[in-house]
Amino acid sequence: MENSALKTKNVTKYFHDPVTIPVLKNINLDVKKGEFVSIVGKSGCGKSTLLYVLSTMDSDYEGELEINGTLVTGLSLNALAKIRNESIGFVFQFHYLLPDFSCLKNVMIPGLRLGKYSVKEVEQRAYEKLKMFGVEELALKNANRLSGGQQQRVAIARALINDPAIIMGDEPTGNLDSKNTGIVFDLFQKLSKEYGQTLITVTHDEDFAKRSDRIIEMADGEILKH
Amino acid sequence: MKISVNTEIALTYLSSRKKQTAVAAMGVMFGISMFIFMQSLMKGTNDYFEKASFSSTAHIRMYSENKVADAHMLNSFLKDNSEKILINPKQLTQSQGITNPYGIIQNIKKNKQVVAVTPQVTATVIYSSGSVNINGTVAGVSIDEEDKMFDVQTNMVTGDLHDLNRVNNGLLIGKGVADKLSLHVGDNITVRAGTGSPMIMRVIGIFATTIKQIDESKSYANIVQAQNLLGKDRSYVTDIKVNLADYNNAPKVARDLETITGYKAEDWVQSNEQLKAAFKIRAIILNSVIAVILLVAGFGIYNILNMTIYEKIKEIAILKATGFSGGSVVSIFLQQAAYIGVMGGFVGVIFGFVLTFMVSKIYIGAGTLKYLPMSFYVPHYIEAVTFGILTTIAAGYFPARKASKVDPVSIIRG
Repeated sequence: MENSALKTKNVTKYFHDPVTIPVLKNINLDVKKGEFVSIVGKSGCGKSTLLYVLSTMDSDYEGELEINGTLVTGLSLNALAKIRNESIGFVFQFHYLLPDFSCLKNVMIPGLRLGKYSVKEVEQRAYEKLKMFGVEELALKNANRLSGGQQQRVAIARALINDPAIIMGDEPTGNLDSKNTGIVFDLFQKLSKEYGQTLITVTHDEDFAKRSDRIIEMADGEILKH
Repeated sequence: MKISVNTEIALTYLSSRKKQTAVAAMGVMFGISMFIFMQSLMKGTNDYFEKASFSSTAHIRMYSENKVADAHMLNSFLKDNSEKILINPKQLTQSQGITNPYGIIQNIKKNKQVVAVTPQVTATVIYSSGSVNINGTVAGVSIDEEDKMFDVQTNMVTGDLHDLNRVNNGLLIGKGVADKLSLHVGDNITVRAGTGSPMIMRVIGIFATTIKQIDESKSYANIVQAQNLLGKDRSYVTDIKVNLADYNNAPKVARDLETITGYKAEDWVQSNEQLKAAFKIRAIILNSVIAVILLVAGFGIYNILNMTIYEKIKEIAILKATGFSGGSVVSIFLQQAAYIGVMGGFVGVIFGFVLTFMVSKIYIGAGTLKYLPMSFYVPHYIEAVTFGILTTIAAGYFPARKASKVDPVSIIRG
């Protein structure tokens, strides 16, 4: 199974508040390297919950999760943080940039955290990523002075700074107009086709989902088809 | 220099909230400058009172106590086991002086705690000038050593105390004596001790302590003159005064000296109990005031960091999502606290110094005290900064730990 980027075995998760209800039921999933996967389903079907479990941010679940062939279930929070830093890029519905920093710094911060490259190199790479999304001329502006679309593009650039093996998106285009959605989709596709990066996105956008490699449909905490 | 990404984030947060940072740093600044100010005031006052009291009292005074007759001699003479009773025992009429004083002084000097030892001949006298007589005491001293131990020089009103070494029958009198007998430098004064013959001495200087009683009775003479006054020989010494490196050790050293020499050694605590009590009470007042100040400053920082964390909870979640560990988040917020502490500490030291300096110029003008006594004592500044920064870090730690426990999922999902 060297080809597998991400694999789950019987992942089950409960919400305990106010009463214990299962939100994910025996999820078995295998995402290949370089695949572009969309998870779709109605609101409340558990698709976002699944994504956060896959992202290692949520460690309160039963079952097993493997990333790049390594079992990550049960690792310490610090070890998980390191894995996220190194091999997972995350794009949220809302951009969540740090408003006190310039766009460039926002993109650089996860790279600086990783510490694999020198500050100069990280800056160079951050510029490249911004360029990919056509926002390099905004690099030195403060993040809170940008429009929503621009901010989202910077946020995606940030997710890519460490060349993560897996990029996850929770409605990455949910806040964008169709033109920006198109740009983002083309880039995602390019990442998966040309750079072999794995993409997993949760989306409501049917067009977006249809154009991806694989659609995983969820309902009531279960995978209907994939 | 390569600064870590945690430091960079901490600094950016601080600089993007300049007002809040300044307010927090000002809290620390006030804490630290008040700490310095209070400490300087307390130490200055304590030093002043200490000096005032030690200007007349040695740390330890050794003297020969009058003994009441006992059956000791009778026992060694009869050499039997009978019980002897002395009816109506009397004071022994032995010499009041200390036998072999210079040998004892050599012995005392061997004690490592001792920094100064000086012999003294105390004589109870009657001063007379014209038809007026007043009672008093003459302290026969070596004036140079006396000055070293008690800083007689600062009490001088007129005249030069070193004339005591040069003028054969010189006498340094208290201001009260001078006023009562209407004496000036250069005048003659008749001094009569109980057992000796009257001597005519010359006033070579006038001193004034803050203690009226002393000014109205005491005078200094050369030790040889005091011996002459009493009609005693050169080996006659009534007191040996001892000063120690640390006066707090006086009670213990006094007991040691008593055992070694066999003479009574009275430490300053015995004669100045109330002074010691005052020191202790002041120390407690001081420490509680400082504790309150630092506590308030600490709460200020705690509050501001706590608010920052509420404001930045989404950003903390994002940092954690992009791979910052709990430790990194603690480091980011603790560093903010530390920088606030360092900034406040730096300004606080300057402000504390300026405040202390300004207050030290307040005129008091009572006794020998001209200005409010303030001490400029470097360890206070070091202590202040250390305590200040420790308080800040302690105050920063709890919000920082809270920030590190933020669950990114619950924040990001809303």
